[in-house]
Amino acid sequence: MTPEKTRRPRKRPGAKAALKHPHHEAASASDRWVGKSVARKEEARLLRGQGKFVDDYQLQGALHLKFVRSPYAHARIESIDVEQAKAQPGVLRVLTGAEVAKVVQPFIEIGPAPGGKILDYPMAVDKVHFQGEPVAAVVAESIEAAEDAAEVVRVDYDSLPPVMDAEEALGDRSILHPSAGTNLVWQGEFEYGDVDAAFRSAAHVVEIDRLHFHRFSSTPLECNVVIGQWDPSDNQIYFWCNNSFPAFAIQFLSPALGVGIDQIHFQSHDIGGSFGIKITNYPYMAVCALASRACGGRPVKWVETRTEHMTASAHGNERTFLDTRVALDKKGVITAIESRHIDDCGAYPRYEPLGCIIWAQVLPGAYRTRNMRVQFSQAVTNKCPVGPNRGYSRMQHLWFLERVIDICGRKLGIPADEMRLRNYIKSSEMPYTTPNGCVYDSGDYAGMQKLAKKLIGWDGWQGKIAKARRQGRRIGIGIGTTLDSGTNNFGQSQIINPQAPYSGQSEGANVKLDIYGEIVVSIGSVPQGQGHETTAAQVVADVLNVHPDIVKVRPGFDTDRNVHTGHSGTYASQFAVTGLSAVHGAAENLKRELARLAAFALGAKENDLEFGLGTQGPEVKDRKSRKAINYWALANLVNVNNAGLPADLDVTLNCRYVYRAPFKVPDIQRKYGNLTLTYAAQLHIAVIEIDPETYIPKILDYAAVDDCGRVINPAIVRGQVFGATAHGLGAALYEDCRYDEAGNLLASTFSDYIPITALNMPRVRYGHMESPSPFSYNGAKGMGEGGAAPIHTVCAALQDALWDSGVVIHDSHNTADSIFRALASRSEASGAVDQAAIETLESNT
Amino acid sequence: MALHFGGEFLVQRSPEEVYDFLIDPNRFGSVLPYFQGLTVADEKNFEVKVRVGISHIRGIANVRLNRAEAERPRRLLYRGKGSLAGGSVDFTAGFDLAMNEEGTRVAWRGEVQVFGVLTSIAGGLLQPLAQKNAQKAIDGLQAALGQIPSVSALPAVSPLPVVSSPSAPVVSEPTISPGVREPGGSDPTPEQPIALSEPAMKAGQ
Repeated sequence: MTPEKTRRPRKRPGAKAALKHPHHEAASASDRWVGKSVARKEEARLLRGQGKFVDDYQLQGALHLKFVRSPYAHARIESIDVEQAKAQPGVLRVLTGAEVAKVVQPFIEIGPAPGGKILDYPMAVDKVHFQGEPVAAVVAESIEAAEDAAEVVRVDYDSLPPVMDAEEALGDRSILHPSAGTNLVWQGEFEYGDVDAAFRSAAHVVEIDRLHFHRFSSTPLECNVVIGQWDPSDNQIYFWCNNSFPAFAIQFLSPALGVGIDQIHFQSHDIGGSFGIKITNYPYMAVCALASRACGGRPVKWVETRTEHMTASAHGNERTFLDTRVALDKKGVITAIESRHIDDCGAYPRYEPLGCIIWAQVLPGAYRTRNMRVQFSQAVTNKCPVGPNRGYSRMQHLWFLERVIDICGRKLGIPADEMRLRNYIKSSEMPYTTPNGCVYDSGDYAGMQKLAKKLIGWDGWQGKIAKARRQGRRIGIGIGTTLDSGTNNFGQSQIINPQAPYSGQSEGANVKLDIYGEIVVSIGSVPQGQGHETTAAQVVADVLNVHPDIVKVRPGFDTDRNVHTGHSGTYASQFAVTGLSAVHGAAENLKRELARLAAFALGAKENDLEFGLGTQGPEVKDRKSRKAINYWALANLVNVNNAGLPADLDVTLNCRYVYRAPFKVPDIQRKYGNLTLTYAAQLHIAVIEIDPETYIPKILDYAAVDDCGRVINPAIVRGQVFGATAHGLGAALYEDCRYDEAGNLLASTFSDYIPITALNMPRVRYGHMESPSPFSYNGAKGMGEGGAAPIHTVCAALQDALWDSGVVIHDSHNTADSIFRALASRSEASGAVDQAAIETLESNT
Repeated sequence: MALHFGGEFLVQRSPEEVYDFLIDPNRFGSVLPYFQGLTVADEKNFEVKVRVGISHIRGIANVRLNRAEAERPRRLLYRGKGSLAGGSVDFTAGFDLAMNEEGTRVAWRGEVQVFGVLTSIAGGLLQPLAQKNAQKAIDGLQAALGQIPSVSALPAVSPLPVVSSPSAPVVSEPTISPGVREPGGSDPTPEQPIALSEPAMKAGQ
């Protein structure tokens, strides 16, 4: 079934309109546990300090690895002297990038030339391209010995001019990667509708010279950790690692290390957050494997420090939006947008240039704009490589659209709430096909706005703000509407590179009755705190009509469970759809096998059987004879007492199911097709006051409304909304991976980066709506990335507070300092608000 | 992070004497603050070890210097690279010498480029620290050469006495230069003020 062929929407409570998946009715009718705030199964160990993270693994004979990293952002490596380090006590090996390059292939590049010609090795070979890039690795018996030895590795660098700005990078005055011959990674034009005609007939045209989305990261509690062992006895590579997309990682590692996929074993248990950043830690995995091989196969552990994480793991994409023109009709409805976007992917593309298309999943955002033209370019710079940080690529674009909406509303004198209402896609239009062929499954953005306004007391705040302004205070209220597109279609990679061998989306799961009748679930996803064990148990419990407590969900990920697919991982807001669909499918398969087996054992008809809990645990009962057989007996029949089973009773009670999302390969030429299956939405409202003396923006009130379709576990959803809100607020007001002109990261510790904590988190008024997705079996949508709603919202509120002072918010990161400078600049400009105000806060600073 | 310094001072020495001092790493190297040792590689290249410290980040920095330009007795330019835990430093130090009726006017300039996480951890401290150490180096140089007060330099750490004797001997022993530590001697703390006046007076006598 493709989304386009889905039946018309059917009204459901809590949503204006929604389509139904064919299996939805059956699934929901028997739900006892899905939809309830079942306590998280993971909490018992995590809250007692009994979680098992990679650094908790103590393998016999394990060695420790410390990287020597470049202090330069751009430099030629003239020489590396490791002799003194090798002579240190406890040191076994010192590997240099040049040595490593002799035994590995460069990692594959997803994109075509020119970016595809970039040579990306696990460590720098002859040049360093960002501060913190590893140039050598010391392997020693203890971490202390490795650290001491790393300090005496002497590296001679010849510093080169760093390129710290993507626009400047595209000028190619200093080429980072000679093999590519340019700093351009990828470029393309996305044009839909009739943009020129829309501008010709526009009642208003608003121009915005420049908007800038800043660079930040997500700082998981647990930094990257890898234990790698290249065992010479079986020539197998074993990884214990917190990579969050291992199916992707092993596809990169296999050709680089010259081994078959099946030689790579990957295992994770608990992971202390990833937010996408850990997807790109595979270069470190490669180094640990190679170091292990160089040390006779002993396991090699690398534990990243926080400063290493800040400087050299991965940051989110920085993006600049130039020469934006917006056409509007006389009512303020946006009829066309054209713009030029330049994305900064840092020193190496790695997961890029997928971000050059992923933003297009939300091309028009929550709005009905049909005519759009975007010139998109991506460049390398001498900054830390980017990774798919939460809300990856879409949040940059959605922030851009929210700024466009706010600035246009201001220009036309239309209030922010009304401006949005005039432009929102209506719930009655769902499923809504965007100009580029994406299908928004369901949603009611106007309804969400209404609920959020009610939560925060919008009307009351209007009066209070007006009164405060008369007293000279700067207070603003702002709305951020955002989408969290989930379950991506990897076919979009072919828009970037027609040769890319990826499309669709899938996830696997296994549900079995173990030998003694235990229900055991294995999932292909890589949980990092999202509660996968709990929600998987809820789904299985509903299928088998048992309590979730007796459903054992194996923690973490393990290639040796043979559950995963090539898409397996935790990313792109999809577990509720892909992961739980796989779990549901596997549970249904197990149920069918159990029914066949029980029918044989009880001499009953399958249609007469019912599943439930009996006096001897979970059982299958014949309604007619009232005879029952419990799970232990059924498992026993198949596994250890199977002499009497008929030959044609082909059951294993060990059921794997692969869920494949209903995608087609997009039209590459037109850049058209469905890129994502579900679209969760968040709508936030903030009230912010700027301190008159310190200029520190303070959040006075905050409301967050979430709609992720049918909710599997309300407590988990609520927690994820709060987590995403915290991350977004941190990004908007505190966190900034800023560099100086020489390429030094100026926020390499938490003291400088200032991640948000409970102390500066406002009280959040939480609201929830449900617009079930017609495209998932259970009506659920992926969620958790949050769509960066707080960044949009904070900017909107600051805009409201500062518009009368002549300041236009052009940057996604705003601090007391930048606000002060912007206001000071406007004071000097003597109040010329209009065109003069279309300057960036950055340029003001 | 780029730091720029500069200034000028007068010494009652001929340009040739000043030049000969500045071109000799055994003499010039030793006026660096917190000097720990010197290794001369060849005529143009030498390496000094200096003790540095910023807050809790302390250690020995290896500084390699290359004499990039030398035009006797008018101009000298050194380029250097230093490394220590948490960062690297690239710098240039240039001296233009001009004969003056009172001796030699030394116009100096320095440009320091700091790299590494040091800039994040100690970014706000680097400018004043580097400025202080640059001034110490110049003060040491003046003292070693026999000096008269600066005419337009960075703020002096302490006023220096006018020296009347143009024939005072050039200081060649680093142990008697102010701000210079004898190799292997006790380490000063980074913030420890260097007493300039007493040894400087001796050096200028």
